[in-house]
Amino acid sequence: MNLLISLFSGAIVYAVSVMYAGIGETFSERAGVMNLGVEGIMLMGAVSGYITAVNTHNLLLSFLVVLLTGAVFGLVFAFLTVTLQADQTVCGMAMLIFGTGLSGFLGKDVAGVAANLKFENISIPLLGKLPFLGPIFFQQNLLVYAMYFIVPASLFYIYKTKQGLYLRALGENPAALDSAGMNVFAMRYAYVTFGCAMMAVSGACVSLANTNFWSSGMTAGKGWIAFALVAFSSWNPFKLMMGALLFGFISCLGSNLQIYLPSVPTEIYSALPYIATIVAFILTTGNFRKSHTAQPAALCKPYDRESR
Amino acid sequence: MKKKTLGLVLAASSAIAMCFGGTTVFAEEGKDVSELVIGELHYSVVEDGGWAQAMHEGVLKACENLGIDTSTNLLTMEEISEEDPALIESAVEELVDNGADIIIGCSTGYASILSELQEEFPEVVFAQQNNDVYDNLVEFQIRGYEGMFQAGYLCALMNEGSNELGFEASMDEGSVRTAINAFALGAKYANPDATVQVVWADSWYDLDIESNNAKTLIDSGVKYMGMEASSPAVPQTCEENGAFCVGYNINMQESAPKAVMTSFVWNWAPIFEDIFQKTADGSIDISANYYEGGECSQLAEFNADLVPEDVQAKVVEVKDKIASGEINIYGGEIKDDKGNVLVAEGETMSDEDILAQDFFVENVKGGK
Repeated sequence: MNLLISLFSGAIVYAVSVMYAGIGETFSERAGVMNLGVEGIMLMGAVSGYITAVNTHNLLLSFLVVLLTGAVFGLVFAFLTVTLQADQTVCGMAMLIFGTGLSGFLGKDVAGVAANLKFENISIPLLGKLPFLGPIFFQQNLLVYAMYFIVPASLFYIYKTKQGLYLRALGENPAALDSAGMNVFAMRYAYVTFGCAMMAVSGACVSLANTNFWSSGMTAGKGWIAFALVAFSSWNPFKLMMGALLFGFISCLGSNLQIYLPSVPTEIYSALPYIATIVAFILTTGNFRKSHTAQPAALCKPYDRESR
Repeated sequence: MKKKTLGLVLAASSAIAMCFGGTTVFAEEGKDVSELVIGELHYSVVEDGGWAQAMHEGVLKACENLGIDTSTNLLTMEEISEEDPALIESAVEELVDNGADIIIGCSTGYASILSELQEEFPEVVFAQQNNDVYDNLVEFQIRGYEGMFQAGYLCALMNEGSNELGFEASMDEGSVRTAINAFALGAKYANPDATVQVVWADSWYDLDIESNNAKTLIDSGVKYMGMEASSPAVPQTCEENGAFCVGYNINMQESAPKAVMTSFVWNWAPIFEDIFQKTADGSIDISANYYEGGECSQLAEFNADLVPEDVQAKVVEVKDKIASGEINIYGGEIKDDKGNVLVAEGETMSDEDILAQDFFVENVKGGK
């Protein structure tokens, strides 16, 4: 029982730290802008939050700085890709390299400095005491609880609201939206900025929740996992959550199986999450299903009024 | 940039001194040690909270002790990938251009390239963290097992009423096996029935897996653990779950004050001091090999809130016994985890075998 609790709660913690970035990327791509710089923006979020935590010892302020940092990066990225209509892949790589480098540089002074300030696990009254479910779902940190609302809210937003309809149109056929009198550029700016702010929160999950320190490059590839999960989930936040949980669960499984099934080489366990992801990817998006791809038709295509 | 400019100025001034028949120049002829220009190559930034930081601190301390001004005479090259020979070569050329008398390869991966470059720049001394492999490199290594033995001994002493200890390990590699085995041997010295359950991350750096592994160990009943990992993820997981550990690479007490009893720390300064001094005198033998224990392979100060004084005293006693030779860590009889005798009674393992550990000792569980 303890084993299962530890597995599931570990999977949730892992999943949430990539889901913020994944949902941010989902909104950005739904709006037609692919952002390859997830990892760099996560690192910027992680370092800016941690620097603020060390210097002010104020968690709320740190969180706001994280959001702001993400938003600033988002505005820059939107300026490059929406206004200047630069190539999204190239700009994304630029954000990645810039964010990684700048975070390492800014973080020099707080590397190895303890902030002793993080999103602590909070047990929810009553629910936290539930057998089995309590320790898994209701003894987590605030960022995890927030995610319980963000997934249904973003599903509702994308599929059930008028704004969500516009968002989907934005990624499929921005010209149609433009004809209908909507401001394509402003909407893309907004979603790209929102997406980057969410990516920065993923960084905060790493430096201010799951662990509590700063070290250069500490996200160690999580941004890429988030990026891959978006395509894996067919741009759907619910499937994104399932994918992240699957990946998190299997990652946690590895460390438990080492003790309880020691005869299998541990490298097999380390490879499991990737094998599972590839299998799930093939099953959900493979060509053999003859289903229509969910990729937004206008993804990676800058919108140019002159050439519509 | 500032350092580089200063380096250039230095190089220029020594050139001028040469023209005027000055007394300086040429390491081989001997110069004052405070004038030595040192270059160091790191694979990451020096504030990495782990290996590079420990190495850099060693350089800084050695410089301080020898009166070398690090703001002018220490040239630090960060993020020089060990897999990028072209980058290493250009970094070395830049260091030499800036007047470096000695270049330190702070990670094993530079060895083969530095050995080639030594032939190109014979006036420069190349020091490399490595086992004794190359004839034209000053190679240095620390007997990490001495400190890890004390770490295992401490954990087993603290772990009253239980024989189970844990260990979070990164990759399966000789130096990591050394850490695990020494920890297990130390634990056994305190408690003959102590066992060490290892959990592998199979990665040099993955915070989630390190945390998960620590959590798994704690869930399986382990309360005290050792680690060979570069981040405070394990200590912080211990702190959250009421377990305790010995940090690694640098003193990690500040990152998890309620869980870190002490840390295994690399103290490179004495080795560097000797190398720098000899480089300055011109007495350095470029095929020299350092394999040092004692003060180089240490535990950081104890966390007095967690480790009672009598336990501290016992660990210090063990440290002294290692130094005096009374405790022979790799003295027989040592068996491996499959029951084969590795070292017979009365014999001692050779340094080559200690460096190239391809075994796990008897009381290690979950070895590969």
